[in-house]
Amino acid sequence: MVIVIVVASLGGGFYLYNTVSDPYRTLTPLDTQSYLENSNSLRGNTYKLSATIENSLSWSPSVGRLFSVEVETNTGNSVLPLLIPPEFNQINIQKGQKFYFQVEVGDKGLLRAKGIKKV
Amino acid sequence: MKRLVFSCVLCLPLILTAQVPDAPAQQAPPAAPAGNASGGQPAQKQPVPFLGKDVPSFDPGSEILTWDGKNWNVNNNRLFQARFEKYLNAPEETGQQDKEYQLIIKAILDKLAPDVVTTKSVDEAFRLLPRASNYDIDARLCDSLADAIYSAWRAQNASQRLEYANDALEKERKQNEWNAKMAAGQAKLENAPPGGKNGNKSVSDQWAKEQQLKRDMETQPYITRLAEILALIKVNQAKKELSELQTKIEFQALIVQFFLQRRFQHVLIATRFYRAVFSDGETKLQVGKDAKDLFAKSLGMPPTVGTLDSLANEAIRDVREGIQAYTYLIQKNELESATKRLGEAFTVGEYLPELRTLPRDKKRLALEFSQKGNQLISAIEVKDYTLAEKLVHDLEKSAKDFDNSKPMAAIETAKTVSALHLAKAKNAAVSGDKQTLETELKEATEIWPRNPALAEVSGLIFSQADVQQKALVDLDQLLSQHNYRQIYDDKVRFIAAAALYPNRQEQLTKVLSDMQNIEGKIIQATEISKRGDYAGAWETAEKAFKQFPDDSKLNLLRANLTTQAADFVRTLRNAEEMEQKDQIGSSLAWYLKAQKIYPSSEFAQDGISRLVKKILPST
Repeated sequence: MVIVIVVASLGGGFYLYNTVSDPYRTLTPLDTQSYLENSNSLRGNTYKLSATIENSLSWSPSVGRLFSVEVETNTGNSVLPLLIPPEFNQINIQKGQKFYFQVEVGDKGLLRAKGIKKV
Repeated sequence: MKRLVFSCVLCLPLILTAQVPDAPAQQAPPAAPAGNASGGQPAQKQPVPFLGKDVPSFDPGSEILTWDGKNWNVNNNRLFQARFEKYLNAPEETGQQDKEYQLIIKAILDKLAPDVVTTKSVDEAFRLLPRASNYDIDARLCDSLADAIYSAWRAQNASQRLEYANDALEKERKQNEWNAKMAAGQAKLENAPPGGKNGNKSVSDQWAKEQQLKRDMETQPYITRLAEILALIKVNQAKKELSELQTKIEFQALIVQFFLQRRFQHVLIATRFYRAVFSDGETKLQVGKDAKDLFAKSLGMPPTVGTLDSLANEAIRDVREGIQAYTYLIQKNELESATKRLGEAFTVGEYLPELRTLPRDKKRLALEFSQKGNQLISAIEVKDYTLAEKLVHDLEKSAKDFDNSKPMAAIETAKTVSALHLAKAKNAAVSGDKQTLETELKEATEIWPRNPALAEVSGLIFSQADVQQKALVDLDQLLSQHNYRQIYDDKVRFIAAAALYPNRQEQLTKVLSDMQNIEGKIIQATEISKRGDYAGAWETAEKAFKQFPDDSKLNLLRANLTTQAADFVRTLRNAEEMEQKDQIGSSLAWYLKAQKIYPSSEFAQDGISRLVKKILPST
């Protein structure tokens, strides 16, 4: 009984920790499929995106850094482009790192990070 | 001797029609006035000379007879060949009639032989002439001779009568002279009136004049008659001389005719009769200038009856020797020389018994050789060198002395030159030089029209031309259809056809280069496909397709690979579609997905690079 209580406490604690540590838990997750089919239709919306850094595509001091990120979906993994503006330059972003992103679907359907929280 | 006889033989057709005795007294035409030479009057048409403009001459070295500006080879002459072949085919004349004829001729000659000739033997010989002329072989020539002799005798009788007449006239002339002399002597100037005495001189003169007139009147008839008689005597003398000369010339003309006809036995008979009939010793031939030149230029001396006699004897001997040589050469199987000797003997003495009695079996050998020789000449003339070569080999087999150097030189030269032209024609055909091709083919045809290689090469060239033309038409058609695959599959034919046409060659080179490229891509895609990398294979095919969208084989491969790499292809298509719609986010996401599927994808990488540049232009 004690063991069960201990395990339940640890599980509950972990869940609670995870839930509490996601600062964008109130945002709607990005519908990857809809984005792929018509990103322009999502322009102006803000979504939560949990993704792993796949590759750095390019970098511009004025515009920011462009990454390809891998997102888990119901149908499998998808790779999406994500622009990290210069205000997040202080955050080191490397391949394989997982982040929570607050993203906005910007002009021409491009995803732009508005907030970043490392998992 | 032979030169003269050959000349005569070749002139025979003309001579036989033109042989007439020359004018009895060849009077020189009156000298033309000096003014005529200046051409003030229209030139009168000159009569054609007896032997043309020139005297015939024969060159024994080349066997060429030159006459009136024309040349003949006596052995290569249609007239000669025809007569010679007729002779060679004729049976030998050894029948009873031929023997009898020759016996008569011999008897005539014997009776007229210089050592035995008498008036009686001449008469006996004369009586044999009509008998000889009864035989066909004689061709009535003995009759002609008998007529000439008879005419001469008649002329001589007439001369005798004129002689008697002249004697009578001479007597009458003498009588008249005496009468005139007597008449003039009786009329003396006597009993003159005595004018002198009484001094009347005028009466005396008048009387003397009357007496003179009376004497003239009495002698005048005698003087007139005397003049007439003298004129008659002169006329009779001229008639006598003219009559003798006329018959002499006619007789000489007959002898010359016999000689030109190569009737040498008749020449001998005629010359012997001539000497018997005209015993004045004058034997110089009274023939025209042309006929005289014919003998004089050949013999170097003026012709006489004796000349003709010796020439006839020499000809008979020559023919006899020719026949002996022929018989010997036949035995030695030297047919070429034998045939030539027989031909020469025939040319000289066609009617002599030595030739006429030669057995036909012996003549046939020469005939066969002669026929083949003539056939060879004809074959070379018409440039049928195949036949000519065959005949040369046949002749070599049949006659061991046959000299093949001349015909073989002609044949080999023609063959070589023809082959040379054909080779040039072939080269011209290959290099597309149509003008040279035509010229060389024409040259080759002219040199050897029946050259078997000519038809073969012509056929080859023309069939090549057909094939080439068809290939060029096909090439143009396929180029217009952009059916480069068909051109590539048939490239050997089109390369050969377009080789002569630079424009088409350039087009073809580009097509083949492109097709090589396509083929390379197809092989590459197939190999990648074999490794299971369908996306990579498709991308290879797709890149080639973008460059060469019309190639069927590539299209088929691309279609197959599209099926096999459907996920990758669909992802790329979506990326491109979104890019076209300017949905950069979606498009880039699709490209990234495609790259995830096939990391080496150039299409995906290109798309990503393109879009990244749009997003971050400053980089």
